[in-house]
Amino acid sequence: MNQPRGSGPPAAASLAEELDRLEQIVRALEADELDLDAALALFEEGVARLRRARERLASAQLRVRAVLEDADGSLRDAELDG
Amino acid sequence: VTLGLSQDVLTVSELAGAVKLLVEETIQPLWVRGEVTGCKAWSSGHWYFTLRDAGAQLRCCMWRTYAQRAGRPPADGTAVYAFGRPTLYEGKGEFQFVVQRLLPTAAVGDEQLRLEQVKASLAADGLFDPARKRPLPRYAERAALVTSTDGAALRDIVTVTRKRWPLATLLVVASRVQGDGAAGELVAALERVNHLDVDLCIVGRGGGAQLDLAAFNDEAVCRALAAVRVPTVSAVGHETDVALTDLVADVRAATPSAAAELAFADAADVRRQVRQLGTRLARSLGRRAELLDERLARAGDRLDASMEQRLAATSHRADRLGAELDALSPLRVLERGYAVPRDESGRVLRRRADFVEGAAFSLRVADGEVPSRVRPE
Repeated sequence: MNQPRGSGPPAAASLAEELDRLEQIVRALEADELDLDAALALFEEGVARLRRARERLASAQLRVRAVLEDADGSLRDAELDG
Repeated sequence: VTLGLSQDVLTVSELAGAVKLLVEETIQPLWVRGEVTGCKAWSSGHWYFTLRDAGAQLRCCMWRTYAQRAGRPPADGTAVYAFGRPTLYEGKGEFQFVVQRLLPTAAVGDEQLRLEQVKASLAADGLFDPARKRPLPRYAERAALVTSTDGAALRDIVTVTRKRWPLATLLVVASRVQGDGAAGELVAALERVNHLDVDLCIVGRGGGAQLDLAAFNDEAVCRALAAVRVPTVSAVGHETDVALTDLVADVRAATPSAAAELAFADAADVRRQVRQLGTRLARSLGRRAELLDERLARAGDRLDASMEQRLAATSHRADRLGAELDALSPLRVLERGYAVPRDESGRVLRRRADFVEGAAFSLRVADGEVPSRVRPE
C-alpha cells in the first residue's frame, strides 16, 4: 500500500522542484529577454512558488511515526511509543 | 659556510610534527597482519610490542583501554590481525602503530572467511559498484528509518533532524539490529520500505564497545538493502569498522548522527537561499515595472485606446504582484535606507538594552549583511 503524502494537493511539487523552478524563473526574468506578458506570468508563478517554499520551511515540527503492519499485511503509521 | 635560506629552517619538533600530521591525515585506520614479538605489558596497563613479517617490522603500542579488551598479552610468534592507526611518536622519532584491536588469526579464521565469501558474492553481482550509487535527494522530506526503537541510533537521528531539518517526517520501521533473528527482521523491514512513500532510507544502529556487526554483514540483508528503491544511507555507528551494508548503501555514514546530517539539508541554509531568490525576484520585477511605466507614459501618442487599456491592465497586474511580493519581503523597506540589526543567533535587536558593549551583531541592509560591533563608550 502506498501512503499518500500528508496534506496539500495530490500533485504538490517537492521542495526541490519548487526551488529549482524558482531559480529557473528568476534567471529567465533576469535575462530580460521575455515579452512583458510572459514575464508577468512567470513573475506571478515565482511569487506563488516563493510563498509555498516559505510556508513549507516555516511549518517546522518534526514528525516521527512508527510503521506498523496490520494482520492483512498492509502497512500504516502511528505515533511512536516512548 | 652559508645556509641556502630560501626556505624557513624548521626545528626538529616542527619537522616531526609535520610528518606526524602527514601520516595521520593520509593513512586512515586500518587492519594489519603479522606476527607479534616482544610484547611487554606495563604496570600502567599499556602494551608495547613489535609486529613483523619476513620483510619489515612495526613498533606497536596499545593503550590500556584497548589492551584490557584484548585479554592476555599475546605470546611471541602469535599471528594476529591488528587494527589501528599509524602515527609518529615524536619523542623518539619513531614510526608507530597505535593498536585498538588485536585478534589472533586462528580465532577469526572462520568468521573472516565467511565474510570474505559473502563479500566476493556481492561484489560479483556488482553490489559495490560505484556506478550504482545514487545521489541523495537534496531536500528529503520523508525518510524511512530502519533501526531498533530502543537504540541510541533512533534518538541521535531524531535529535539531529529536529535541529537541522524539522520539516521532515521520519517513518520508523522497527527491527532488531543484533542477536539471533536480527538479520531476518532487517530483511523484512527493508522490504517494507519499498511500500512506503519516502525519499530515502537510513539503516543503522548505535555504536558500542562490543560491536556485533554480524547482521549488517549478512548477505540477505545486503541484498535487501540493494533492492530498496530509494537512495540509502548505512550507519552502523562505528568510526572504524566497516560493515558490508556500508559498501552496498549509496552513502556510508560513520554514525547515525552523521547519517542525519548527510540525509537532510540544513533548513537555515535553505531559508537563506529562498530569501536570496526572493530578493532577486523582487529586483527582476523592479526593472519590468519601470519599463512598463515608461511605455504607458508614451502610449498616448502611439497606441490606440484598446492597446492603452490593455497596457494599463498589465501595469495594474504588475502593481498587484509587486504589492504581494512586498508583503512577503521586508526588502522594500530596506531599500528606503532602513536596516535590521540582529545578534549572532539571528534575534532582532530592538532596544538600546539589546546592544551589549563590545558585542558583535549583523546589520541587514538592502543588498546584504554588514558585520558590526557595539563600540565601547
